[in-house]
Amino acid sequence: MGAVWVGPGSPGDPPRVAAMDPGTGPRKERPKPREPAARLEKAKQRSAQQELKQRQRAEIYALNRVMTELEQQQFDSFCKQMQGSGE
Amino acid sequence: MTGMAGGGGRGSSRRAAAGKEGGRSRSAQPRAAGGGGSGGGSEEEEQEQQRDGGSLFLVNKSGFPMDGQTWERMWGHVERVHPDGSAVAAAIRSATRLARPSVPPVPNYKLSMSIPEWLQAIQTYMKMLQYNHTGTQFFEIRKTRPLSGLMETAKEMTRESLPIKCLEAVILGIYLTNGQPSVERFPISFKTHFSGNYFHHVVLGIYCNGRYGSLGMSRRSDLMDKPLTYRTLSDLIFDFEDSYKKYLHSVKKVKIGLYVPHEPHSFQPIEWKQLVLNVSKMMRTEVRKELEKFARDMRMKILKPSSAHSPMKERSRGKSLSPRRRQGSPQRRACRRDKSPAVLDKKGDLATLNEVGYQLRI
Repeated sequence: MGAVWVGPGSPGDPPRVAAMDPGTGPRKERPKPREPAARLEKAKQRSAQQELKQRQRAEIYALNRVMTELEQQQFDSFCKQMQGSGE
Repeated sequence: MTGMAGGGGRGSSRRAAAGKEGGRSRSAQPRAAGGGGSGGGSEEEEQEQQRDGGSLFLVNKSGFPMDGQTWERMWGHVERVHPDGSAVAAAIRSATRLARPSVPPVPNYKLSMSIPEWLQAIQTYMKMLQYNHTGTQFFEIRKTRPLSGLMETAKEMTRESLPIKCLEAVILGIYLTNGQPSVERFPISFKTHFSGNYFHHVVLGIYCNGRYGSLGMSRRSDLMDKPLTYRTLSDLIFDFEDSYKKYLHSVKKVKIGLYVPHEPHSFQPIEWKQLVLNVSKMMRTEVRKELEKFARDMRMKILKPSSAHSPMKERSRGKSLSPRRRQGSPQRRACRRDKSPAVLDKKGDLATLNEVGYQLRI
């Protein structure tokens, strides 16, 4: 198989900047400590899940190759046995 | 698969896997919070582990990425059935770098394509996904689900791009041929017998412009796609039957479904067995007659789903629901078909024929 990975869009889009509310009088600094952190955490989780999926897919195809070969060997051996018993 | 399928008669006990991480793969990480497994109860496992051809039939119901329990179950099965299962599992799971398999592009229909070319493109795509030999089916297909739900699963198949088996291939084939009104699709199911066990297989029958063919996936290349060249439905079915004989499978039943609607959001379920023929109890001429009658009714689109009329039940020799058929037609005696000399379903022959209990699966 080729080594080129063509997957879905990259995970972890940069967090969007929240819009300021207009017409609120003197601008006050509003503390926003939790929101970006939560978003960042979610983005990290998504990224981790994506990596896990990619790794699983790679293992599945590696396994499928081995199991396909096994099936072919068993089939060939069965056919030879059939030919042998038929003679 | 445990039991008789391959493995040279290995026992079913699970060996401890070798490896730096105690046999756990680099991919066996627990899922993020919220993505749970199925609870892991043994009763649930028993429900999941159906048998086909005497072998376990494992299905992933945890979505993607697969949860730890399903993942470990997959590898556990591999260790049981492969002669070097532990080594194989360890080698793959502990590999620091694995080749990233390419993702085949989902085929797109172009106006310049003929229908046979389009079907060929779809079949090529399925072959690039590969037949799934791992022992675990990755996409759960509930045959009674509405078509819309199954089409969502088909979309998932194109997103996740993983190996598939025959039933998944039918659903994927329906999805990819949606929107081509000249192409009619209908399921064709086979129940066969080999070496003391029954096997089930399904392909997607295709009818277009007066010709029949099929799409599908199988371990055997002549039991999946067939070109759109068969003039009658019987010709197509008999071709499958002849192919089965090469693998010493005797066909017991053939089930033909209705045309699948082209609306991907349809809430109707697929009708899988509008016609059921016990072909092992019929002469070939009878089978041909029933198939052609049914095919004609299908082409004239006068059939309604059998599930809409009565509870689904098997109809020997297929009584179609054509209004032209007389009520209370005389019962025909089931005639035995000529037995193929290649069919060896007597247990006494198994010992000499199949010393390692190899199940020639389709």
